Amino acid sequence: MSEIVKKRVIDKKFVTILESTPNSSKIWIASLVLIILVGLYAFILQVLHGHEVTGMRDNVVWGVYIINFIFFVGISYSGAFISGILHFFDTPWKNAVSRIVEIITVLSLIIGPIFILLCIGRLDRLHYLFLYPRIQSPITWDIIAIMTDLVGCFIYLYLTFIPDFAILRDDEKLDVAPWRKKVYRFLAMNYQDTPEQKAILKKITRTMSAMIIAMAIVAYTVLAWIFSLTLQPGWNSSIFAPYFIIAGLYSGVGVIIICMFAVRKFFKLDLYIRKVHFIGAGVILLVLAMLYGYFTFSEYFPRWFSHKKNDVQLLDTLFSTYFWEFILANYIGVLVPVMILFFKRFRTINFITFAAVIAVLGLWLNRYLIVIPTLETPYLPIQDTRPEFIHYTATWIEWALSAAGIASFCLFFTLLVRFVPIIPVSELVESAQKSKIKVDQKRK
Amino acid sequence: MQQMKHDIKYIARILTLTGLIISYSHNIAAQEFELSDYKMGFKLSTKKNVDNSRTLEVLYQATNKKDRKDRIPIVEALIEFYASYQDSLVLLGGIKTNNNGIAEYIVPASKAIYVNEEGFQTFTAKFAGSEGLKRQKKSVEVKDLFLELNLAEEDSIKTVYLEAFLKDSIGEKVYVEDVDLVFSVGGMLSRMPIEDGTIEDGRYEFEMPDDIPGDLNGDFKLYAFIDDHDEYGTVLQMSESNWGVFDDIQVPEKNKLWTDAAPIWMYIVLTILLVGAWANYVYAVVKLWRIKKIGM
Repeated sequence: MSEIVKKRVIDKKFVTILESTPNSSKIWIASLVLIILVGLYAFILQVLHGHEVTGMRDNVVWGVYIINFIFFVGISYSGAFISGILHFFDTPWKNAVSRIVEIITVLSLIIGPIFILLCIGRLDRLHYLFLYPRIQSPITWDIIAIMTDLVGCFIYLYLTFIPDFAILRDDEKLDVAPWRKKVYRFLAMNYQDTPEQKAILKKITRTMSAMIIAMAIVAYTVLAWIFSLTLQPGWNSSIFAPYFIIAGLYSGVGVIIICMFAVRKFFKLDLYIRKVHFIGAGVILLVLAMLYGYFTFSEYFPRWFSHKKNDVQLLDTLFSTYFWEFILANYIGVLVPVMILFFKRFRTINFITFAAVIAVLGLWLNRYLIVIPTLETPYLPIQDTRPEFIHYTATWIEWALSAAGIASFCLFFTLLVRFVPIIPVSELVESAQKSKIKVDQKRK
Repeated sequence: MQQMKHDIKYIARILTLTGLIISYSHNIAAQEFELSDYKMGFKLSTKKNVDNSRTLEVLYQATNKKDRKDRIPIVEALIEFYASYQDSLVLLGGIKTNNNGIAEYIVPASKAIYVNEEGFQTFTAKFAGSEGLKRQKKSVEVKDLFLELNLAEEDSIKTVYLEAFLKDSIGEKVYVEDVDLVFSVGGMLSRMPIEDGTIEDGRYEFEMPDDIPGDLNGDFKLYAFIDDHDEYGTVLQMSESNWGVFDDIQVPEKNKLWTDAAPIWMYIVLTILLVGAWANYVYAVVKLWRIKKIGM
């Protein structure tokens, strides 16, 4: 056993990332902290003055906060889904992306629900959601689903981190602060990579990965139902749940590609995150882009064909007031990634990342178009009211808090990368051992 | 590097092309209105009101020949309404169409309208035409049907009686047959149907339900409605009643997770899902504990 433990040391490449923080990284972290502080100031103003400081009014009661919530939670669910698939089927190139996916999943799942709290006008009554829940309400289902999923994701992600925590604990050459060593020791839970421990961990990780795939589908379906179980034009749709899941996967894969690009670039991990991984992720993005485009068409075409007054009114709004947003979200956001990824010659790392950026921006705008125009065209319009009470424009408070959310995501991602190896070292060691065994067997 | 530059040029060309396509499609959306693409619609309908006055309504709008959803109302068009008197037309009045392309003229109950030998009154609506629009003319023939609503309560049974009749030249009632009608009670936004049937021998009656909500005093309005009949057109009659019930403001049930209001299957499905998920979590935590013990 001790022989195995001795072999389990961290590659020098990751040691550098874990031990030192270069100046460029410090400036990056400081900039993110600054953005978060501005967001904090905006939050204090919102708490003091209420939702009056936002663009949300009587008609449009949900704004960019709920869009950010759906967006982040979508990324998280797709991360959990993809991570579950990678582990469950023991995908060959999972080592390159699995840790990135896991970190994205857990960070989005923490940041996403914070945005839903910002939507609540009376935060002091938040506990009423738990004291007086109604089981018939999709909001209650969502609370239950998100909490269950959050706990499940944490357990699952923790399971995948344990072997690496053990290596970090055992590597005596690793020069990090003593408190960090203590944390590694605590989180490693006496894991020594014995065959029995390994077997148990593998079994529960596999079970949890299957569980997490199911949970991601259930939880995002419930989130879609919050919209589709209402009678609002644009929301009352039977395909909303699968549409949400496909859109979530699309944006999730996009964010994973962007993070892969950033990690590869800044930490110079060209050897670990290779072009083949980008091409693999790019092809998945291509398939999802086409599926997303198909679902988008299936969502809007029957509405146009139905001739229902309110649906037609909504489509008129989308093609007039929100013309460019609609084009960017549903044409550019689909066609540009498809065009880039379809042709083999464009499947370079830069172009695949560019396609991912377009996909992510398009998806955010798509969420905006799902929420805002519908709320601006209700069945019973309020008469003789001020235009700003009908039409929604986000204020700087909302943008500052949105930027703070993204900055928090980037900040925690950066910090986590400096806390645990961004490539699962235990998996690399295991792969190396397997290769060695194969070579030995061949020699014999 | 050379390949990269080439790629960028190529994708820039594709993006420019996409932009041009989008701009062109936007121009199409914003193109000018062409009258020749539209078919004119000029419809005249009539409705007899509860005070026995009669509404003559013209709907004047243009419908796109290719896209039926694209309808444009003709506004500010002067519509003249006429009643027939033997072979001539008597001008009743003129009204301009509103923003929805609708012009309404109300013929008062006191206005005597000529009835032809077959018992029909004939109304005509005309639009004289303008520089861009052709003349329009539509007529409608209708028999002047009267509805009488009476409500009576005997031995705690509340009954609605309706009589439907025409009047002959000396004012005698001539009861009508085989006319479908609907009874409804007025609400805040629309009328709620409570009974439908067919008038036989000029009469219809039914027992009024005793659980119809009324206002604070238990009052509600009861409507009898004949919808677009071939001979009588649309006829509406109303009677006010005190037969409604007023429910005191009910104390709403407190929101709670376990309530009779939710269907049982909801509890079963949710319980299975939650127990399945959380049992798995507990199993994982127990196994983690075992891993820890093995390593000690």
